[in-house]
Amino acid sequence: MYNILIITIAKILNFFAKILGKILKKDNGNLLGKIIKKISPNILTKFKINCPVIAVTATNGKTTTNNAIKYMIEKNGKKVVSNTEGNNMETGIITTLLKNCTITGKIKADFITLEVDESYVPVVFKKIPLDSLVVLNFFRDQLDRNGEVETLILKINEFLKTYSGNLILNNDDPNVVRLGKANKNNKNVYYFSVDKYKYATKNQTEAGEGKFCPFDDTKLEYEYYQYSHIGKFKCPKCGYGDEELFIKIENVDLENMSFEENGEMFFTKANNIYTIYNFAAVISIAKLYNLNAIDALKDFKLNNGRSEEIDINGVKTIINLAKNPTGANVSLRMLNEDKEEKELLFVLNDNPADGLDVSWIYDINFETVNVKRIITSGKRAYDMAIRIKTSFFDKDNIEAYLSIEEAVKSLYSSDVKKYVIANYTALQPTRKALLEYKKETKKE
Amino acid sequence: MRELKLLYLYPDMLELYGDYGNIQVLKYRLEKRNINLIIDRYSIGDKKPDFTSYDIVFAGGGADNEQSILSKDLIKFKDDIKEAIKNGVFFLLICGAYQLFGKYYKGVEGNIIPGLGIFDYYTEAIKDRSKRCIGNIVLEVNLNGDKYEVIGFENHGGQTYNVKNCFGKVLVGNGNKFEDKEEGYFINNVIATYLHGPLLSKNPKLTDYIIEYCLKRKYEEEIKLEPLDDTFEEKCREELFKVLEIKKEIR
Ligand SMILES: [Zn+2]
Repeated sequence: MYNILIITIAKILNFFAKILGKILKKDNGNLLGKIIKKISPNILTKFKINCPVIAVTATNGKTTTNNAIKYMIEKNGKKVVSNTEGNNMETGIITTLLKNCTITGKIKADFITLEVDESYVPVVFKKIPLDSLVVLNFFRDQLDRNGEVETLILKINEFLKTYSGNLILNNDDPNVVRLGKANKNNKNVYYFSVDKYKYATKNQTEAGEGKFCPFDDTKLEYEYYQYSHIGKFKCPKCGYGDEELFIKIENVDLENMSFEENGEMFFTKANNIYTIYNFAAVISIAKLYNLNAIDALKDFKLNNGRSEEIDINGVKTIINLAKNPTGANVSLRMLNEDKEEKELLFVLNDNPADGLDVSWIYDINFETVNVKRIITSGKRAYDMAIRIKTSFFDKDNIEAYLSIEEAVKSLYSSDVKKYVIANYTALQPTRKALLEYKKETKKE
Repeated sequence: MRELKLLYLYPDMLELYGDYGNIQVLKYRLEKRNINLIIDRYSIGDKKPDFTSYDIVFAGGGADNEQSILSKDLIKFKDDIKEAIKNGVFFLLICGAYQLFGKYYKGVEGNIIPGLGIFDYYTEAIKDRSKRCIGNIVLEVNLNGDKYEVIGFENHGGQTYNVKNCFGKVLVGNGNKFEDKEEGYFINNVIATYLHGPLLSKNPKLTDYIIEYCLKRKYEEEIKLEPLDDTFEEKCREELFKVLEIKKEIR
């Protein structure tokens, strides 16, 4: 009876929140969950879930992977409930489930797929049953919020000690593979890997984590690096890293946006290596639940500023989100692999959601950046300019503007192709400024 | 062409928070003045470095578990490092390296990571893992009699006690301990501090202080560094002073 009461309150609140949201034009993604959690802290345990719950966690690629899994399952004709807007903490998940349950708390779906913030995995899945957990990677991200990466891994490792559901792990990240050893009795551990691609390197070219074997502190040996610390590694002492593969992606061709898995050709819209890793996770899930992934990945659109392409009065403009050095380095990789003449705009904020510390920009590889001019903007425009200057990029070709409008105006003073990289809270204001500029200049 | 030689300790372990950027900034400000910077790296398993043959030794911050692995390695060089400091080699030590040069680091579970014990200070972790000194920090530092505001970012759970000569007075932020008035450790040729940022990126005068010191020592003559175009640095500092509400009067 109590549950029905809480859920009824939630539904009514949600109804008003929707109207209020429309009036205020504001997103209420977490608000409902926040309020309900105050009234009923254990609300997550009250839902009646009779379908598999699939969760994705990682530093990079949670949203893309979760959205792709949802899309893939739906393409197979099933009903999916999911937090696709990226509300990945406990309150966001509560909100998602509240919006999709009956008055008695029943979730009517064939699957629930959730993107979950790394530090919330133990919190959320103490309260709701978990069928499959996908772990993609651990990179440095907003260290001042989460504490060091190691602390985060240990937290998830602790949770996994008593978990015996499906565990789908990236075999090319030493920080992730170790989680497969957390519970020796779990027979449901599956590893996926992506075979060496064209731009893989012999030596590590970008900052990364996990250089030592977690079991005996021996330095790991790498056959090659795909990007950051992702690659084929092995501990020379205990053999750590040599796991049996469940899914192996081969013949990655980024120009033609295709790859092979177990003899089958996949055509996608992904032109960068880390999306291929996300798709390897999607294919693992498809195989585990006997679903088809080929059709879904063929037309799954990558969105939300993650590699978005727009046309601004005839000038091709590519927008990328980069929350951390790995994200930024992957974007710069795409830029360097593009042989056309181009210019770069990098927008950097230091709001709480970004992480207050901007030191990470020194882990971005500007040394090899292949552009004519770089413009910086955002609250930390000058920090960015200093970073780029000290990589020996000619300072006379760097411009810094605190105002994004000024930065955009200057960017389009020439008509060569543009790449735009923005960090978390900088992305939306940047998109807005670009679109507004497009509108204004069209009138003239 | 003149040159300085720098030894980078444990680049594969002590490299959290972009601290390598300090070397990048040093290299930039040296090469713009036609002075070469040679960078040698030392890590576990490499041949023992000749500390006294360098002009600058640099070490950064690392995660806890890596810190304890390398503490065992570093202690083997205690006497050599002491000798190099006595000789006047400049040591720039950030965060974890700052702690390692003290007596010890006591972890959350009470575990002790022994330090080199070259300086008298020691560090103890705060019991509550979620409590850390985090945020932008501004110090007032005395560089050869000139006051200079040093800007950086602190992020440490460790509380460092018994520091004899601090690096700077805290204008904004915490410092060696929660709500401390002092930050870091500083003697003529050693700067040990919690400041990331990287430290040298926003403080060109501090970088030039280190460069001047090293050139003077090496070439035994008065050094007048050629000024560089620091427009971005100056604007960056102005903006941060504004955001952190540091008034012109105190500066
Ligand atoms: Zn091993």
